[in-house]
Amino acid sequence: MTKSFIEESQQNFQHDLMFRVEDVPLKCNPPAAELEQTLHGLMQMNGYIIRSLEEIAGRGANAVTFRAGKKFGHEVAKYFQKKDNVEEALRELSYILYGQYSFEPWKPADKDHYIVEENGSTFIYLVFHDCIVRQTLRRIGQEQSGPLCQTLCGYVVGAIEEITGRRAKLEIVHTGPNACLKKVILK
Amino acid sequence: MIQISVDEQACNGCGLCVKDCPMNVFEMGSGVSIPRRPENCMGCLSCHEICPAQALEHQGVVPSRRMYISSRVCSMLNRVI
Repeated sequence: MTKSFIEESQQNFQHDLMFRVEDVPLKCNPPAAELEQTLHGLMQMNGYIIRSLEEIAGRGANAVTFRAGKKFGHEVAKYFQKKDNVEEALRELSYILYGQYSFEPWKPADKDHYIVEENGSTFIYLVFHDCIVRQTLRRIGQEQSGPLCQTLCGYVVGAIEEITGRRAKLEIVHTGPNACLKKVILK
Repeated sequence: MIQISVDEQACNGCGLCVKDCPMNVFEMGSGVSIPRRPENCMGCLSCHEICPAQALEHQGVVPSRRMYISSRVCSMLNRVI
């Protein structure tokens, strides 16, 4: 005889595991391979939140998401080392973004330096390879460089401002399915 | 360095890759796209994606993670294919 859904549920959610206050989880559970559906659900939900925000708030959505990303960047980076040197600051940034975003400095072949000083500001191009924002947008078939990309911009700006103590700006130069080019400007 | 090749038989000379590339890697010549400055390619692959003739091939591009791919959908597709 087949079980009813309620009986099945009761069986599925029965466990005799004892939780103790002193138990500190030491690993992410379940393993990553089993998290695919959770991750996809999260990506879809995030994507629809952003799409709805854009529909309701219009261009203001960018300001909201940038602000959210910036707060997040400041919050995360305050526990990292402060650096004056731009290259060292980028190294710190790569530690902060580890596992979510990966990037490398980039320059056109005819230029000599990656880091350029101009009119009192410093700029550098970064190519973002891995990006959870891009993954999310591709998962739900949404365009790049919209409000969700602004969360990454805010995140990087917040983190780099916290590390260097200088005002920063991030411009999206180009977006692609495999990598995106961004320009970091430090004032 | 990234190497780009264009299948001249397939390229229809639409010029979308020329317009799209921010690094001006491509130029039009004799009705087909020619990768003139592959050393400037950053491997974003947007030219690859927009090419209607699928005439482009890139070698040496670092593939980014593809977390958006659903293994359930892909396994179903594989069964069909």
